[in-house]
Amino acid sequence: MNSAFTHIYGPIAILMIAAVGFAIAPLAMAWLWSKKFSPRKPGPVKNATYECGLESNDAFLRFRPEYYLYAIVFLIFDVEAIFLLPFAVAFTGLTVGASIAMLIFLLLLVEGLVWTWRKGVLIWV
Amino acid sequence: MDLELKEALSRQGIFTTTLEELYNWGRRSSVWPLTFGLACCAIEMIATSMARYDLARFGAEVFRPSPRQADLMIVAGTVTKKMAPQVVRLYNQMPEPKYVIAMGACAISGGPFKQGYNVLKGIDRYIPVDVHIPGCPPRPEALMDAFITLQKKIDAQSLTGADRPRHLNAEEPSEFIVPQYGAHDLEPPKNVKLWNIITKNIPNGPGTASDNEPRKD
Amino acid sequence: MNLEKIKSDIEAAVPGCRLQIILNGSPSGQHSLLLGREHAVEIARFLRDDPELRLDYCSNVTGVDWLDSETSEKVKVKKLVDGVEQEVEEVRKTRTPGYLEAVYHLYSMEKKHGPLVLRLRPENRTDHVTLPSLTPVWRSAEFQEREIFDLYGIIFEGHPDLRRILMWDEFEDHPMRKDYVEPNDYEYEPTPHDAVLEKSKQARAIEGQR
Repeated sequence: MNSAFTHIYGPIAILMIAAVGFAIAPLAMAWLWSKKFSPRKPGPVKNATYECGLESNDAFLRFRPEYYLYAIVFLIFDVEAIFLLPFAVAFTGLTVGASIAMLIFLLLLVEGLVWTWRKGVLIWV
Repeated sequence: MDLELKEALSRQGIFTTTLEELYNWGRRSSVWPLTFGLACCAIEMIATSMARYDLARFGAEVFRPSPRQADLMIVAGTVTKKMAPQVVRLYNQMPEPKYVIAMGACAISGGPFKQGYNVLKGIDRYIPVDVHIPGCPPRPEALMDAFITLQKKIDAQSLTGADRPRHLNAEEPSEFIVPQYGAHDLEPPKNVKLWNIITKNIPNGPGTASDNEPRKD
Repeated sequence: MNLEKIKSDIEAAVPGCRLQIILNGSPSGQHSLLLGREHAVEIARFLRDDPELRLDYCSNVTGVDWLDSETSEKVKVKKLVDGVEQEVEEVRKTRTPGYLEAVYHLYSMEKKHGPLVLRLRPENRTDHVTLPSLTPVWRSAEFQEREIFDLYGIIFEGHPDLRRILMWDEFEDHPMRKDYVEPNDYEYEPTPHDAVLEKSKQARAIEGQR
Protein backbone atom coordinates (compact mmCIF):
# COMPACT_ATOMS: atom_id res chain seq x y z
CA MET A 1 0.00 0.00 0.00
CA ASN A 2 1.17 3.49 -0.82
CA SER A 3 2.54 5.18 2.26
CA ALA A 4 1.59 8.62 0.94
CA PHE A 5 -2.02 7.45 0.64
CA THR A 6 -2.13 6.32 4.27
CA HIS A 7 -0.42 9.49 5.26
CA ILE A 8 -3.02 11.71 3.60
CA TYR A 9 -6.22 9.78 4.18
CA GLY A 10 -5.40 8.13 7.49
CA PRO A 11 -6.76 10.92 9.71
CA ILE A 12 -9.90 11.12 7.63
CA ALA A 13 -10.44 7.39 8.00
CA ILE A 14 -9.96 7.69 11.74
CA LEU A 15 -12.42 10.58 11.84
CA MET A 16 -14.89 8.55 9.81
CA ILE A 17 -14.65 5.66 12.23
CA ALA A 18 -15.01 8.03 15.16
CA ALA A 19 -18.07 9.68 13.58
CA VAL A 20 -19.76 6.34 12.92
CA GLY A 21 -18.82 5.30 16.43
CA PHE A 22 -20.42 8.39 17.88
CA ALA A 23 -23.60 7.60 16.03
CA ILE A 24 -23.64 3.93 16.88
CA ALA A 25 -22.42 4.08 20.49
CA PRO A 26 -25.59 5.58 22.04
CA LEU A 27 -27.75 3.16 20.09
CA ALA A 28 -25.61 0.25 21.15
CA MET A 29 -25.67 1.41 24.75
CA ALA A 30 -29.44 1.77 24.67
CA TRP A 31 -29.69 -1.69 23.16
CA LEU A 32 -27.45 -3.17 25.80
CA TRP A 33 -29.35 -1.31 28.52
CA SER A 34 -32.65 -2.71 27.34
CA LYS A 35 -31.11 -6.20 27.17
CA LYS A 36 -29.92 -5.90 30.73
CA PHE A 37 -32.77 -4.07 32.44
CA SER A 38 -35.97 -3.53 30.46
CA PRO A 39 -37.66 -6.64 29.20
CA ARG A 40 -39.53 -6.41 25.94
CA LYS A 41 -43.28 -6.63 26.36
CA PRO A 42 -44.99 -6.75 23.01
CA GLY A 43 -48.71 -7.36 22.89
CA PRO A 44 -51.57 -7.45 20.41
CA VAL A 45 -52.94 -4.05 21.39
CA LYS A 46 -49.53 -2.47 21.83
CA ASN A 47 -48.38 -3.55 18.40
CA ALA A 48 -51.65 -2.68 16.71
CA THR A 49 -51.89 0.14 14.22
CA TYR A 50 -52.32 3.46 15.95
CA GLU A 51 -55.77 4.85 15.20
CA CYS A 52 -56.27 7.43 17.95
CA GLY A 53 -57.36 4.70 20.33
CA LEU A 54 -59.91 3.16 18.00
CA GLU A 55 -59.54 -0.31 16.67
CA SER A 56 -57.97 -0.32 13.26
CA ASN A 57 -59.70 -2.58 10.82
CA ASP A 58 -58.83 -2.20 7.17
CA ALA A 59 -56.71 0.91 7.28
CA PHE A 60 -53.54 1.16 5.20
CA LEU A 61 -54.77 -1.37 2.68
CA ARG A 62 -55.61 1.12 0.00
CA PHE A 63 -53.08 3.70 -1.04
CA ARG A 64 -54.09 6.17 -3.67
CA PRO A 65 -51.16 8.07 -5.20
CA GLU A 66 -53.27 10.96 -6.39
CA TYR A 67 -50.74 13.56 -5.35
CA TYR A 68 -48.36 12.12 -7.93
CA LEU A 69 -50.31 14.06 -10.55
CA TYR A 70 -49.91 17.27 -8.62
CA ALA A 71 -46.18 16.66 -8.49
CA ILE A 72 -46.01 16.25 -12.29
CA VAL A 73 -48.07 19.37 -12.94
CA PHE A 74 -45.93 21.30 -10.48
CA LEU A 75 -42.77 20.19 -12.32
CA ILE A 76 -44.16 21.18 -15.71
CA PHE A 77 -45.48 24.60 -14.86
CA ASP A 78 -43.28 25.74 -12.01
CA VAL A 79 -39.88 24.08 -12.02
CA GLU A 80 -39.67 24.25 -15.80
CA ALA A 81 -40.14 28.03 -15.70
CA ILE A 82 -37.16 28.38 -13.38
CA PHE A 83 -34.95 26.68 -15.98
CA LEU A 84 -36.53 28.37 -18.97
CA LEU A 85 -35.74 31.90 -17.84
CA PRO A 86 -31.91 31.50 -17.64
CA PHE A 87 -32.10 29.41 -20.80
CA ALA A 88 -33.82 32.26 -22.63
CA VAL A 89 -31.42 34.89 -21.27
CA ALA A 90 -28.30 32.97 -22.23
CA PHE A 91 -29.76 31.51 -25.43
CA THR A 92 -27.59 33.43 -27.95
CA GLY A 93 -24.36 32.50 -26.21
CA LEU A 94 -25.09 28.81 -25.83
CA THR A 95 -23.35 26.03 -27.68
CA VAL A 96 -25.26 23.55 -29.78
CA GLY A 97 -24.72 20.79 -27.19
CA ALA A 98 -26.19 22.87 -24.38
CA SER A 99 -29.21 23.76 -26.50
CA ILE A 100 -29.84 20.12 -27.35
CA ALA A 101 -29.54 19.14 -23.68
CA MET A 102 -32.05 21.80 -22.76
CA LEU A 103 -34.42 20.68 -25.51
CA ILE A 104 -34.25 17.10 -24.26
CA PHE A 105 -35.10 18.37 -20.80
CA LEU A 106 -38.06 20.27 -22.21
CA LEU A 107 -39.13 17.26 -24.25
CA LEU A 108 -39.24 15.09 -21.15
CA LEU A 109 -41.46 17.60 -19.41
CA VAL A 110 -43.66 18.05 -22.46
CA GLU A 111 -44.11 14.30 -22.48
CA GLY A 112 -45.46 14.61 -18.95
CA LEU A 113 -47.70 17.45 -20.05
CA VAL A 114 -49.12 15.35 -22.89
CA TRP A 115 -49.70 12.47 -20.48
CA THR A 116 -51.54 14.59 -17.93
CA TRP A 117 -53.51 16.28 -20.71
CA ARG A 118 -54.68 12.93 -22.00
CA LYS A 119 -55.54 11.87 -18.44
CA GLY A 120 -57.83 14.87 -18.19
CA VAL A 121 -56.03 16.31 -15.19
CA LEU A 122 -55.83 19.79 -16.70
CA ILE A 123 -59.59 20.15 -16.83
CA TRP A 124 -60.50 22.11 -13.74
CA VAL A 125 -63.75 20.98 -12.11
CA MET B 1 -21.79 4.68 47.40
CA ASP B 2 -21.65 6.02 50.88
CA LEU B 3 -23.98 8.98 51.25
CA GLU B 4 -21.67 10.93 53.55
CA LEU B 5 -18.72 10.51 51.23
CA LYS B 6 -20.87 11.66 48.36
CA GLU B 7 -21.90 14.79 50.22
CA ALA B 8 -18.34 15.51 51.22
CA LEU B 9 -17.22 15.15 47.63
CA SER B 10 -19.98 17.37 46.34
CA ARG B 11 -18.94 20.04 48.82
CA GLN B 12 -15.51 19.89 47.22
CA GLY B 13 -17.07 20.33 43.79
CA ILE B 14 -16.85 16.69 42.74
CA PHE B 15 -20.10 15.31 41.45
CA THR B 16 -20.67 11.61 41.84
CA THR B 17 -23.62 9.58 40.79
CA THR B 18 -24.81 6.05 40.33
CA LEU B 19 -26.18 4.47 37.21
CA GLU B 20 -29.56 4.28 38.86
CA GLU B 21 -29.63 7.96 39.74
CA LEU B 22 -28.48 8.92 36.27
CA TYR B 23 -31.15 6.74 34.72
CA ASN B 24 -33.90 8.16 36.93
CA TRP B 25 -32.67 11.68 36.36
CA GLY B 26 -32.85 11.18 32.62
CA ARG B 27 -36.30 9.69 32.78
CA ARG B 28 -37.84 12.23 35.11
CA SER B 29 -36.40 15.16 33.19
CA SER B 30 -38.08 14.21 29.95
CA VAL B 31 -41.51 12.88 30.75
CA TRP B 32 -43.44 13.61 27.59
CA PRO B 33 -47.19 13.67 27.93
CA LEU B 34 -49.63 12.39 25.36
CA THR B 35 -51.66 15.09 23.67
CA PHE B 36 -55.26 14.47 24.48
CA GLY B 37 -57.94 16.05 26.60
CA LEU B 38 -61.32 14.66 27.45
CA ALA B 39 -63.17 17.60 28.98
CA CYS B 40 -62.75 20.93 30.74
CA CYS B 41 -59.64 19.86 32.69
CA ALA B 42 -57.84 19.79 29.36
CA ILE B 43 -58.10 23.58 29.23
CA GLU B 44 -56.18 23.79 32.49
CA MET B 45 -53.67 21.29 31.13
CA ILE B 46 -53.18 23.47 28.05
CA ALA B 47 -52.77 26.51 30.28
CA THR B 48 -50.14 24.64 32.27
CA SER B 49 -48.12 23.94 29.18
CA MET B 50 -48.25 27.57 28.06
CA ALA B 51 -45.91 30.41 28.96
CA ARG B 52 -47.48 31.55 32.20
CA TYR B 53 -47.13 28.25 34.03
CA ASP B 54 -44.54 26.76 31.72
CA LEU B 55 -44.51 23.02 32.22
CA ALA B 56 -41.33 23.04 30.12
CA ARG B 57 -39.40 23.82 33.29
CA PHE B 58 -39.91 20.19 34.26
CA GLY B 59 -39.02 18.76 30.89
CA ALA B 60 -42.58 17.99 29.91
CA GLU B 61 -43.25 20.59 27.27
CA VAL B 62 -43.26 18.17 24.39
CA PHE B 63 -46.83 16.93 24.13
CA ARG B 64 -46.64 14.03 21.73
CA PRO B 65 -49.52 13.41 19.37
CA SER B 66 -48.73 9.69 19.18
CA PRO B 67 -48.72 7.24 22.08
CA ARG B 68 -45.60 5.62 20.63
CA GLN B 69 -43.50 8.57 21.76
CA ALA B 70 -45.28 9.48 24.99
CA ASP B 71 -44.36 8.55 28.55
CA LEU B 72 -47.17 10.14 30.47
CA MET B 73 -50.90 10.04 30.04
CA ILE B 74 -52.70 12.95 31.65
CA VAL B 75 -56.32 11.82 31.84
CA ALA B 76 -57.74 15.32 31.86
CA GLY B 77 -61.49 15.26 32.12
CA THR B 78 -64.59 13.15 32.33
CA VAL B 79 -64.08 9.65 31.03
CA THR B 80 -67.35 8.53 29.54
CA LYS B 81 -68.02 4.84 29.20
CA LYS B 82 -68.05 5.29 25.46
CA MET B 83 -64.56 6.81 25.60
CA ALA B 84 -63.00 4.45 28.15
CA PRO B 85 -61.96 1.70 25.68
CA GLN B 86 -60.14 4.25 23.57
CA VAL B 87 -58.30 5.66 26.58
CA VAL B 88 -57.24 2.20 27.72
CA ARG B 89 -56.17 1.27 24.20
CA LEU B 90 -54.05 4.42 23.96
CA TYR B 91 -52.47 3.58 27.30
CA ASN B 92 -51.70 0.08 26.07
CA GLN B 93 -50.08 1.48 22.95
CA MET B 94 -47.66 3.62 24.91
CA PRO B 95 -44.17 2.13 25.30
CA GLU B 96 -42.89 1.43 28.75
CA PRO B 97 -42.12 3.10 31.15
CA LYS B 98 -45.47 4.84 31.20
CA TYR B 99 -47.20 6.87 33.85
CA VAL B 100 -50.71 8.14 34.39
CA ILE B 101 -51.93 11.29 36.09
CA ALA B 102 -55.67 11.29 36.76
CA MET B 103 -56.51 14.97 36.62
CA GLY B 104 -59.67 16.27 38.19
CA ALA B 105 -62.60 14.86 40.10
CA CYS B 106 -64.08 13.16 37.04
CA ALA B 107 -60.99 11.20 36.10
CA ILE B 108 -60.56 10.14 39.72
CA SER B 109 -64.09 9.04 40.56
CA GLY B 110 -66.62 10.36 38.08
CA GLY B 111 -66.85 13.59 40.02
CA PRO B 112 -70.09 15.52 39.76
CA PHE B 113 -71.26 13.08 37.09
CA LYS B 114 -70.66 9.98 39.20
CA GLN B 115 -74.31 8.99 39.17
CA GLY B 116 -74.64 9.61 35.47
CA TYR B 117 -75.45 6.65 33.27
CA ASN B 118 -72.54 7.09 30.93
CA VAL B 119 -69.68 8.22 33.14
CA LEU B 120 -66.90 5.93 34.23
CA LYS B 121 -66.41 6.17 37.98
CA GLY B 122 -62.69 6.73 37.79
CA ILE B 123 -60.14 5.73 35.18
CA ASP B 124 -58.23 3.68 37.77
CA ARG B 125 -60.75 0.93 37.20
CA TYR B 126 -58.88 0.10 34.01
CA ILE B 127 -55.37 1.53 34.15
CA PRO B 128 -52.93 2.01 37.03
CA VAL B 129 -52.85 5.66 38.08
CA ASP B 130 -49.69 7.10 39.59
CA VAL B 131 -50.91 10.49 40.76
CA HIS B 132 -54.46 11.67 41.44
CA ILE B 133 -55.21 15.39 41.43
CA PRO B 134 -58.48 16.44 43.02
CA GLY B 135 -60.22 19.59 41.87
CA CYS B 136 -62.91 20.61 39.47
CA PRO B 137 -60.90 21.54 37.54
CA PRO B 138 -57.53 21.55 39.31
CA ARG B 139 -55.53 24.71 38.86
CA PRO B 140 -52.34 24.57 36.79
CA GLU B 141 -50.36 24.72 40.03
CA ALA B 142 -52.05 21.50 41.08
CA LEU B 143 -51.07 19.81 37.83
CA MET B 144 -47.48 20.98 38.30
CA ASP B 145 -47.56 19.66 41.85
CA ALA B 146 -48.77 16.32 40.54
CA PHE B 147 -45.99 16.42 38.02
CA ILE B 148 -43.36 17.07 40.68
CA THR B 149 -44.87 14.25 42.74
CA LEU B 150 -44.48 11.97 39.75
CA GLN B 151 -40.88 13.08 39.34
CA LYS B 152 -40.19 12.28 42.97
CA LYS B 153 -41.77 8.89 42.46
CA ILE B 154 -39.57 8.22 39.44
CA ASP B 155 -36.54 9.39 41.38
CA ALA B 156 -37.17 6.86 44.11
CA GLN B 157 -37.49 3.91 41.76
CA SER B 158 -34.78 1.30 41.92
CA LEU B 159 -33.22 -0.36 38.95
CA THR B 160 -33.05 -3.87 40.32
CA GLY B 161 -34.59 -5.83 43.14
CA ALA B 162 -38.06 -6.98 43.95
CA ASP B 163 -39.53 -3.48 44.27
CA ARG B 164 -38.33 -2.32 40.89
CA PRO B 165 -40.93 -0.52 38.80
CA ARG B 166 -43.31 -2.36 36.54
CA HIS B 167 -41.53 -1.68 33.27
CA LEU B 168 -38.35 -3.34 34.51
CA ASN B 169 -40.15 -6.48 35.59
CA ALA B 170 -40.79 -9.03 32.89
CA GLU B 171 -43.64 -10.62 34.83
CA GLU B 172 -45.67 -7.45 35.21
CA PRO B 173 -48.04 -6.73 32.35
CA SER B 174 -47.63 -3.84 29.97
CA GLU B 175 -51.13 -4.13 28.58
CA PHE B 176 -54.40 -4.00 30.45
CA ILE B 177 -57.80 -5.32 29.49
CA VAL B 178 -59.55 -3.08 27.01
CA PRO B 179 -63.23 -2.99 27.98
CA GLN B 180 -65.80 -3.90 25.38
CA TYR B 181 -69.17 -2.28 24.85
CA GLY B 182 -71.73 -4.52 26.52
CA ALA B 183 -75.50 -4.60 26.53
CA HIS B 184 -75.81 -2.80 29.87
CA ASP B 185 -72.33 -1.70 30.84
CA LEU B 186 -68.73 -2.01 29.78
CA GLU B 187 -67.45 -5.58 29.81
CA PRO B 188 -65.75 -6.08 32.20
CA PRO B 189 -66.94 -3.17 34.37
CA LYS B 190 -63.54 -3.02 36.05
CA ASN B 191 -60.15 -4.62 35.91
CA VAL B 192 -60.22 -6.69 39.09
CA LYS B 193 -56.43 -6.93 39.16
CA LEU B 194 -56.23 -3.18 39.56
CA TRP B 195 -59.48 -2.30 41.20
CA ASN B 196 -60.28 -4.06 44.43
CA ILE B 197 -61.11 -1.06 46.54
CA ILE B 198 -64.73 -2.12 46.96
CA THR B 199 -63.70 -5.00 49.19
CA LYS B 200 -60.71 -3.23 50.61
CA ASN B 201 -59.84 -0.30 52.84
CA ILE B 202 -63.28 -0.09 54.36
CA PRO B 203 -63.76 -0.41 58.07
CA ASN B 204 -65.34 -3.83 58.69
CA GLY B 205 -65.86 -4.38 55.00
CA PRO B 206 -65.57 -7.89 53.60
CA GLY B 207 -62.06 -8.75 52.60
CA THR B 208 -60.33 -6.28 54.90
CA ALA B 209 -58.28 -8.95 56.57
CA SER B 210 -57.06 -10.64 53.44
CA ASP B 211 -55.40 -8.50 50.78
CA ASN B 212 -54.66 -5.22 52.41
CA GLU B 213 -51.19 -4.54 51.11
CA PRO B 214 -51.00 -1.51 48.83
CA ARG B 215 -50.80 -2.12 45.15
CA LYS B 216 -47.37 -1.55 43.68
CA ASP B 217 -46.51 -0.56 40.16
CA MET C 1 -100.68 33.11 19.79
CA ASN C 2 -104.06 31.95 20.81
CA LEU C 3 -103.98 28.24 21.47
CA GLU C 4 -107.77 27.91 21.19
CA LYS C 5 -107.69 29.47 17.75
CA ILE C 6 -104.82 27.30 16.62
CA LYS C 7 -106.73 24.28 17.82
CA SER C 8 -109.84 25.18 15.89
CA ASP C 9 -107.74 26.03 12.83
CA ILE C 10 -106.07 22.64 12.96
CA GLU C 11 -109.39 20.91 13.43
CA ALA C 12 -110.73 22.68 10.37
CA ALA C 13 -107.68 21.81 8.30
CA VAL C 14 -107.18 18.23 9.44
CA PRO C 15 -110.58 16.71 9.98
CA GLY C 16 -110.87 13.90 12.47
CA CYS C 17 -107.72 14.67 14.43
CA ARG C 18 -107.44 14.33 18.18
CA LEU C 19 -106.33 17.49 19.92
CA GLN C 20 -106.23 18.50 23.52
CA ILE C 21 -105.01 21.64 25.19
CA ILE C 22 -102.90 20.90 28.24
CA LEU C 23 -102.82 23.80 30.62
CA ASN C 24 -99.71 24.78 32.46
CA GLY C 25 -100.49 26.06 35.92
CA SER C 26 -97.11 27.59 36.57
CA PRO C 27 -96.47 31.34 36.23
CA SER C 28 -94.98 30.87 32.78
CA GLY C 29 -98.35 29.64 31.63
CA GLN C 30 -96.89 27.87 28.63
CA HIS C 31 -99.83 25.80 27.57
CA SER C 32 -99.31 23.03 25.12
CA LEU C 33 -101.16 21.02 22.55
CA LEU C 34 -101.40 17.26 22.77
CA LEU C 35 -101.62 15.70 19.34
CA GLY C 36 -103.06 12.38 18.34
CA ARG C 37 -100.47 10.06 16.84
CA GLU C 38 -102.42 9.27 13.67
CA HIS C 39 -102.57 12.79 12.27
CA ALA C 40 -99.41 14.24 13.80
CA VAL C 41 -97.53 14.58 10.53
CA GLU C 42 -100.46 16.28 8.75
CA ILE C 43 -100.90 18.64 11.68
CA ALA C 44 -97.18 19.42 11.64
CA ARG C 45 -97.31 20.12 7.89
CA PHE C 46 -100.26 22.40 8.45
CA LEU C 47 -98.50 24.28 11.26
CA ARG C 48 -95.47 24.77 9.11
CA ASP C 49 -97.22 25.78 5.89
CA ASP C 50 -100.24 27.74 7.14
CA PRO C 51 -99.72 31.37 6.03
CA GLU C 52 -100.87 32.67 9.38
CA LEU C 53 -98.80 30.41 11.58
CA ARG C 54 -95.72 29.58 9.48
CA LEU C 55 -94.04 27.71 12.34
CA ASP C 56 -90.96 27.04 10.26
CA TYR C 57 -88.46 26.43 13.04
CA CYS C 58 -88.40 23.50 15.43
CA SER C 59 -86.01 24.64 18.09
CA ASN C 60 -86.15 21.78 20.52
CA VAL C 61 -87.39 18.24 20.78
CA THR C 62 -87.15 16.46 24.05
CA GLY C 63 -88.47 13.40 25.81
CA VAL C 64 -90.19 13.17 29.16
CA ASP C 65 -90.91 10.13 31.25
CA TRP C 66 -93.78 10.97 33.54
CA LEU C 67 -94.04 8.96 36.71
CA ASP C 68 -97.22 7.43 37.99
CA SER C 69 -98.86 10.30 39.75
CA GLU C 70 -101.43 10.45 42.48
CA THR C 71 -103.59 13.51 42.94
CA SER C 72 -105.79 13.87 45.98
CA GLU C 73 -108.72 16.22 46.36
CA LYS C 74 -111.00 16.85 49.28
CA VAL C 75 -114.66 16.24 48.56
CA LYS C 76 -117.54 16.96 50.88
CA VAL C 77 -119.83 13.97 51.03
CA LYS C 78 -123.08 13.52 52.90
CA LYS C 79 -122.91 10.46 55.06
CA LEU C 80 -124.82 8.80 57.85
CA VAL C 81 -122.75 9.03 60.99
CA ASP C 82 -124.35 7.53 64.06
CA GLY C 83 -127.77 7.69 62.45
CA VAL C 84 -127.45 11.39 61.70
CA GLU C 85 -126.80 12.72 58.26
CA GLN C 86 -123.66 14.84 58.31
CA GLU C 87 -121.38 16.46 55.83
CA VAL C 88 -118.01 14.74 56.02
CA GLU C 89 -114.85 15.63 54.19
CA GLU C 90 -113.35 12.77 52.29
CA VAL C 91 -110.07 12.56 50.44
CA ARG C 92 -110.36 11.07 47.01
CA LYS C 93 -107.30 9.86 45.29
CA THR C 94 -106.98 9.56 41.55
CA ARG C 95 -104.10 7.62 40.11
CA THR C 96 -102.71 8.53 36.72
CA PRO C 97 -100.36 5.95 35.27
CA GLY C 98 -97.04 7.23 33.98
CA TYR C 99 -96.35 7.65 30.32
CA LEU C 100 -93.66 8.64 27.88
CA GLU C 101 -93.89 11.84 25.96
CA ALA C 102 -92.06 13.73 23.22
CA VAL C 103 -92.25 17.51 23.34
CA TYR C 104 -91.65 19.78 20.36
CA HIS C 105 -91.06 23.52 20.62
CA LEU C 106 -91.94 25.42 17.48
CA TYR C 107 -91.18 28.99 16.50
CA SER C 108 -91.73 31.06 13.41
CA MET C 109 -88.77 32.87 11.95
CA GLU C 110 -90.97 34.57 9.41
CA LYS C 111 -93.78 35.77 11.68
CA LYS C 112 -91.52 36.10 14.72
CA HIS C 113 -93.81 34.32 17.09
CA GLY C 114 -93.65 31.27 19.26
CA PRO C 115 -93.19 29.02 20.99
CA LEU C 116 -95.92 26.55 20.28
CA VAL C 117 -95.44 23.45 22.40
CA LEU C 118 -96.58 20.14 20.94
CA ARG C 119 -96.79 16.94 22.90
CA LEU C 120 -96.97 13.43 21.53
CA ARG C 121 -97.50 10.36 23.63
CA PRO C 122 -96.91 6.77 22.58
CA GLU C 123 -99.56 4.26 23.45
CA ASN C 124 -97.67 2.69 26.33
CA ARG C 125 -94.11 2.31 27.48
CA THR C 126 -93.50 -1.35 26.85
CA ASP C 127 -94.52 -2.68 23.45
CA HIS C 128 -96.23 0.20 21.64
CA VAL C 129 -93.61 2.90 21.88
CA THR C 130 -93.89 4.25 18.37
CA LEU C 131 -94.56 7.83 17.37
CA PRO C 132 -94.59 9.37 13.92
CA SER C 133 -91.36 11.16 13.17
CA LEU C 134 -91.64 14.87 12.45
CA THR C 135 -88.18 14.95 10.86
CA PRO C 136 -89.69 15.02 7.34
CA VAL C 137 -91.40 18.26 8.35
CA TRP C 138 -88.65 19.90 10.39
CA ARG C 139 -85.19 18.69 9.50
CA SER C 140 -83.77 20.01 12.77
CA ALA C 141 -85.64 17.33 14.67
CA GLU C 142 -83.45 14.57 13.27
CA PHE C 143 -80.70 14.38 15.89
CA GLN C 144 -83.02 15.21 18.76
CA GLU C 145 -85.41 12.44 17.81
CA ARG C 146 -82.44 10.11 17.67
CA GLU C 147 -81.52 11.25 21.15
CA ILE C 148 -85.03 10.54 22.43
CA PHE C 149 -84.88 7.13 20.79
CA ASP C 150 -81.55 6.52 22.48
CA LEU C 151 -82.44 7.70 25.97
CA TYR C 152 -86.18 7.03 26.21
CA GLY C 153 -86.70 4.25 23.72
CA ILE C 154 -89.42 5.95 21.71
CA ILE C 155 -89.33 4.66 18.14
CA PHE C 156 -89.97 7.35 15.56
CA GLU C 157 -91.58 5.91 12.45
CA GLY C 158 -90.48 7.59 9.26
CA HIS C 159 -87.21 8.81 10.69
CA PRO C 160 -84.51 8.66 8.01
CA ASP C 161 -81.71 7.39 10.23
CA LEU C 162 -82.86 6.08 13.57
CA ARG C 163 -79.75 4.93 15.40
CA ARG C 164 -78.41 5.52 18.86
CA ILE C 165 -76.63 8.84 19.04
CA LEU C 166 -75.10 9.08 22.52
CA MET C 167 -74.74 5.55 23.82
CA TRP C 168 -72.91 2.83 21.93
CA ASP C 169 -74.79 0.71 19.43
CA GLU C 170 -74.60 -2.45 21.51
CA PHE C 171 -76.32 -0.77 24.46
CA GLU C 172 -79.82 -2.08 25.13
CA ASP C 173 -81.27 0.06 27.90
CA HIS C 174 -82.76 3.52 27.79
CA PRO C 175 -81.02 5.37 30.58
CA MET C 176 -83.28 8.41 30.93
CA ARG C 177 -86.32 6.29 31.68
CA LYS C 178 -87.36 6.35 35.28
CA ASP C 179 -87.34 2.57 35.52
CA TYR C 180 -83.77 2.30 34.25
CA VAL C 181 -81.63 0.22 36.58
CA GLU C 182 -78.03 1.31 36.33
CA PRO C 183 -75.21 -1.17 36.80
CA ASN C 184 -74.04 -0.89 40.37
CA ASP C 185 -70.34 -0.18 40.25
CA TYR C 186 -70.15 2.20 43.15
CA GLU C 187 -67.35 2.00 45.64
CA TYR C 188 -67.08 3.28 49.15
CA GLU C 189 -66.04 6.88 49.48
CA PRO C 190 -66.49 9.46 52.19
CA THR C 191 -69.36 11.39 50.71
CA PRO C 192 -72.43 13.16 52.02
CA HIS C 193 -74.52 11.61 49.24
CA ASP C 194 -76.58 8.95 50.94
CA ALA C 195 -77.64 7.43 47.63
CA VAL C 196 -74.01 6.78 46.70
CA LEU C 197 -73.26 5.30 50.12
CA GLU C 198 -76.29 3.03 49.93
CA LYS C 199 -75.34 1.84 46.45
CA SER C 200 -71.75 1.23 47.47
CA LYS C 201 -72.99 -0.84 50.41
CA GLN C 202 -75.11 -2.94 48.06
CA ALA C 203 -72.18 -3.35 45.68
CA ARG C 204 -69.99 -4.45 48.56
CA ALA C 205 -72.56 -7.02 49.64
CA ILE C 206 -72.68 -8.44 46.11
CA GLU C 207 -68.91 -8.45 45.96
CA GLY C 208 -68.69 -10.20 49.30
CA GLN C 209 -70.93 -13.02 48.10
CA ARG C 210 -68.60 -13.88 45.28
